[in-house]
Amino acid sequence: MTDALFGERELRAICDKALKDCDGDQAEAVVVARNAALTRFANAAIHQNVVSREAELRVRVVRGTRVAMVTTDRLDDEGIRRAATDASELAKLTPENPTFGGLPGDRGLRPAPSAYVERTSWTTPLDRARAVKQLCDAARAASLSAAGYVSTSTQELAIANSLGVWAYAPATTSDAELAALGDAGSAFAQRVSPDFGTLDIAGVAAEAVGKAKAAQKPRDLAPGAREVILEPYAVRDIVTFLGSQLTGNAVEEGRSFVIGKLGQKITGDAITLVDDPFDPKCMPRAFDLEGQPSERLTLIERGVAKAVVYDSGTAYRTREKNTGHALPPNPFTPASPMHLRLEPGTKTREQLIRDTKKGVLVTRFWYTRWVHQLRTIVTGMTRDGTFAIVDGEIAYPVKNFRFTQSYHEALGGTIGVGSDLALLLAGEQFGLQVSAFRVPALHLASFNFTGATQY
Amino acid sequence: MLGSVERDLAHRALDTARSRGASYADVRFVRRSVEDALVKNGHLDNVDRSEIFGFSVRTIADGAWGFAASPILTAAEADRVAALAVEVARASALTKLHDAQLAPVKPVTATYTTPIEIDPWAMRFEDRVQLLVDADAAMRHAQPSLRTTRASYEIWREEKLFVSSEGADIAQTLYETGASIAAESVGDGEQQIRTYPGSGGRSQNTAGWEYALKWDLAKHAPRIADEAVALLTAKQCPQDISTSVILSSNQLMLQCHESCGHPIELDRALGTEAAFAGTSFLTPDRLGSFRYGSQHVNIAIDSTRKGGLGTFGFDDEGVPASEGWAVKDGIFVGYLMSRETAAALGTVSNGTVRADGWSRLPLIRMTNVSVMPGTAGSLEDLIADTDDGIYMDTNRSWSIDDKRLNFQFGTQIGWEIKNGKRGAMLRNPTYTGITPEFWGSCDAVCSESEWVMWGTPNCGKGQPGQVGHTGHGAAPARFRDVHVGVVK
Repeated sequence: MTDALFGERELRAICDKALKDCDGDQAEAVVVARNAALTRFANAAIHQNVVSREAELRVRVVRGTRVAMVTTDRLDDEGIRRAATDASELAKLTPENPTFGGLPGDRGLRPAPSAYVERTSWTTPLDRARAVKQLCDAARAASLSAAGYVSTSTQELAIANSLGVWAYAPATTSDAELAALGDAGSAFAQRVSPDFGTLDIAGVAAEAVGKAKAAQKPRDLAPGAREVILEPYAVRDIVTFLGSQLTGNAVEEGRSFVIGKLGQKITGDAITLVDDPFDPKCMPRAFDLEGQPSERLTLIERGVAKAVVYDSGTAYRTREKNTGHALPPNPFTPASPMHLRLEPGTKTREQLIRDTKKGVLVTRFWYTRWVHQLRTIVTGMTRDGTFAIVDGEIAYPVKNFRFTQSYHEALGGTIGVGSDLALLLAGEQFGLQVSAFRVPALHLASFNFTGATQY
Repeated sequence: MLGSVERDLAHRALDTARSRGASYADVRFVRRSVEDALVKNGHLDNVDRSEIFGFSVRTIADGAWGFAASPILTAAEADRVAALAVEVARASALTKLHDAQLAPVKPVTATYTTPIEIDPWAMRFEDRVQLLVDADAAMRHAQPSLRTTRASYEIWREEKLFVSSEGADIAQTLYETGASIAAESVGDGEQQIRTYPGSGGRSQNTAGWEYALKWDLAKHAPRIADEAVALLTAKQCPQDISTSVILSSNQLMLQCHESCGHPIELDRALGTEAAFAGTSFLTPDRLGSFRYGSQHVNIAIDSTRKGGLGTFGFDDEGVPASEGWAVKDGIFVGYLMSRETAAALGTVSNGTVRADGWSRLPLIRMTNVSVMPGTAGSLEDLIADTDDGIYMDTNRSWSIDDKRLNFQFGTQIGWEIKNGKRGAMLRNPTYTGITPEFWGSCDAVCSESEWVMWGTPNCGKGQPGQVGHTGHGAAPARFRDVHVGVVK
């Protein structure tokens, strides 16, 4: 392993050895490798600063319809052999699973744009610390405190199976997040880029600091159904929750809001949601976590439900086509859209605000959880910059709301969609950065605020 | 238990860190073995066994913190990682406002192993899986119309070695076991779920396989299946009312986790989680005087109690397990602390710092934060003592603001209480409130006989993200004038 990467050749050798050491009808080897660094700051100083090198091999062995998986981070010959042997032995002991349709075969891969930028992988601790200092200094100049992080990561994903699948992709990410905090109010901003050299640190600082200055001394505003402008950070949350239900597994288990509604209107006309693994600005990757080609799918087109995504297992059970959206094998979320883009509208954020006679601007949501999946009802809080809009202008900060709202019903009242898309990341899943989003600001006719907090 | 090979590498890393200028360093080796299995709809859907093994070096250099980690267990890598941790610390110093300070702890040489009765790793795999097959079958036999059934277990063994530049040398082996069943029903635009013994994830303890057996999953499976189906046609929970609420033991434990466990984390209170997990309404000026709840509310911090997921010999800074109080007779009296945050308060750590494996930085995490039993007798006694209200059982939805004040919870099931008797089943129960007002309305907590040590193996915190395992004991409790019903 070099400081930055294994490289395709070495990962291919590891996977090939694992497959060779397996004893079964079929086998799969997946390696996830990461060099990850995150410099975290609070109270305007770095307090947690971490660098880690991580690499895991997961071996899946199939004997008939018996399946077992073993994961290890010992990638020397002995570690690989042991993982393969253990998975093979475990597969002999598992009961038959007649709902398992076998590993997917090689279907070829379309080339996707690269999500790897070499210089990001060579970012130093001092580079990240300097970026943090820029954020802290900007907050301090406005008599604000600062908290957040600057991170960089390099990851490699390699997938092989005994049916001829081989897929490999490196990727880099850099990410800066700032919460600018005053004595009575805060604001948040974030930027993401595969290229640390173009990560917009100044933009993060300007957005969070500028908004935090306006966020001080929030007033009470009564809860209720209100017209809202949602910044992209909040829209990401809506897209995440709805995306999790636009899967074959959610339909199979009877918990998706699109059951029986494909081809029907489910949101407003302005909403078109696409999963586009080939979007060069959305951390592209041509394949899923089973090495299958990922399709570009329009999930919602001008408000009409059009499609859901599938992994091989769910596709087999439900006799649908595998769209190449598998996550690592797991019983709860076997598939997911991983490159969601909510298509932009024509209005700038400022125009959306100007179009609002009376409403609320929400910067981001916090601690959002399902209340009722089938109806897409979610509860959560607003956070880090909530404002009253009066006569087309941001009038004054307001205390944070609790909301309890059906997300897809909220999109049914879409008045406007922002013209600029923000690249944002999902949290890490299964030890790697799996998913990214590109989302605009949204102007919605009604959002159900069901309570408020004290700040 | 980890031994001389890891110890030699640890001392080499410490030497390297010191030679590079670290004023403090510690090294942690962690080997974690986990096996998860899940039977879904009558078939073994997933079996996943993992073993991860690596080490990390944490340093203070130039008065600032650094951390680096690797799974490569060689002398050269120990040197590289230690040197990198110092380089990272020196970079941290670029924004330093004051030198990092650690509260004192006596460095010890010690070992600790979780006491277990049945070693799950020594059992036949087939015997473990049979527990799930039987429980899943019992649910499906009772209610063939269920859309999805699941039965799952997790067994866990973590071997840890902590060596510090102050002279600590602590080896621990921790065992955990968890198991659960879930029944999901769908019909007429409704989707309902019942789980046992806890909510969505497993209930888990530091224990052997005896913990999985204790819950007798197959025996309870028919009731869980029946309730999941009955919920489809049950009465909707009343909307926007104020009433008395009795929370089950397993719901009260999550209420405690979210509205007490997190706000007593001193790192939050001092602002170091401000951008992500948030801060806390329990600020240091409130310590010792703030009325958190009624006089019936006593919440303990206890990492010594048998079975809790926060039970160990020493935390990941080498501080011994301890007992204390977060809330005593309703007054906020104690934080969860690290050595650094304790120093900021001029006290010593109570040993609550843990990391998620070898690759993550140790953080303040809940140990066992438990609502201690009261004198209200059994659950049935408490219901009999309640004229009008709702009994809510087993969490389904949870959310709370970033200072831990405004919360909203939903449970899987509820029952009306009328004239001291359990009445009609209710679906989609929710309740909401403000933390100190809610705990202030507590007027009864059931007795020791109803008290259960629950475990939450899925507590998220930190950037990069970490999953913590926390313990919470609780007995059913009653709250007055609670705002109930948000979902129409």
